[in-house]
Amino acid sequence: MPKVKMPRSNPSLDMTPMVDLAFLLVTFFMLTSSFRTQEPVVVDPPTSTTKIEIPKQVFMITVDQQGRAYIDLTNPAVKAKVFEKVANQVGVKLEAESVKKFTGAGSIGLKISSIPEYLELEASERTNVKQTGVPYDTTGKKSELYWWAYYTRLEAHNDFKAREEEAKQRKLPFDKSNYIQFVVKAEADAKYDIVKHVIQVFRDAKVKQFQMITGLEAEPSLK
Amino acid sequence: MAQIQESGGGGHGKHDKKRAKRSSTHVDMTPMVDLAFLLLTFFVLTSTFSKPKVLRMIFPEKLDEKQQQQKAPEVKDGLTLLLTNNDKIFYYRGSLKPTTELIPIDYSKNGLRKVLVDYNSDLLIKLQDVQKRLNKLSESDTAGRRKLEEEVTSAQRVSKQIVLVKNDEGATYRNMIDVMDEFMITQIAKYYVIDDGMAKLEKDLIKKQSN
Repeated sequence: MPKVKMPRSNPSLDMTPMVDLAFLLVTFFMLTSSFRTQEPVVVDPPTSTTKIEIPKQVFMITVDQQGRAYIDLTNPAVKAKVFEKVANQVGVKLEAESVKKFTGAGSIGLKISSIPEYLELEASERTNVKQTGVPYDTTGKKSELYWWAYYTRLEAHNDFKAREEEAKQRKLPFDKSNYIQFVVKAEADAKYDIVKHVIQVFRDAKVKQFQMITGLEAEPSLK
Repeated sequence: MAQIQESGGGGHGKHDKKRAKRSSTHVDMTPMVDLAFLLLTFFVLTSTFSKPKVLRMIFPEKLDEKQQQQKAPEVKDGLTLLLTNNDKIFYYRGSLKPTTELIPIDYSKNGLRKVLVDYNSDLLIKLQDVQKRLNKLSESDTAGRRKLEEEVTSAQRVSKQIVLVKNDEGATYRNMIDVMDEFMITQIAKYYVIDDGMAKLEKDLIKKQSN
């Protein structure tokens, strides 16, 4: 029998639509995603049924099970200012380089004198540093955490006023929701008294409103 | 990377006839697709989608020493919640006496929520009534809506249902958030967390209750 010659088909297929789709998705995720910043501790907050979203600009206080406090600020300009002022208050000399690095360092729980040293480290080495938490005092003495709270409250107000003024001058609409707010992210299994002590320091600095970060819970019913 | 026509590089070159090479217009997109999907996977896995949710808590300014010495007014018919260790919770009505009986409940729907719904039924009925009227209103009726909103705030203001929350060393942060959340769900208008926690008598009563 004569051999049947199969027509040699080209095994390549047209991938253009797939590539289109893939790049579309890549672009979407690139533009919408916000990255999780490196955090010194993993904290598991409790759940609640609230639907209020976290404010745009926050001063984040992370409290772990042992009551160690870690701080972070989303606004880099204000963060730099607060850092300088707290260091000045406590009497630690800062170099311009470490202020710059501090704004991008994420959550930090160290006493201010050891922060410049920590900032010298590479990002990969930082995770190995055992952070002891920002020192605070439960008896009402003015601790480092107090100064962080105090200057953040002041600078948050200044920042808000400055932006409001700018918007007024340029006759632009002003977004009031950008006020830096105090957010507490605390470990669910931590004792309430421990969390209360940290909040107490902020209350001493005349911070009254807090937003407690919680995980999502199912819709409640009254019946 | 343009696709290269097989130019007889392999073992089957012997039998191939020499033909004029037709240049193909196809571009091999495999590496590009690889890259695109790699990036896609990366972004899908690293991006955080939902923003965290927050529960608002307002703490009053710290009292000065003179104010601290003033005794807090006694709540006659209030509800007091006592949060203690091992996720246990007790409540009692009215003022505290050595004979007060603590009632144990839990954080479930049939425990704490039921107690709070029963306690707050007056306000809840009022609010439900307002909600019903609000649903009947048309979207454009802003004046009517504002009036109903005012009705809600005034109903909350005159509400006599007060809940006090006290904790001891054993209560966790989760317990407190759970209680706050229940207050939101059951629309309790007035609740206070006592800064100093439980009184000694309350601790003693819990101890007696547990034995």
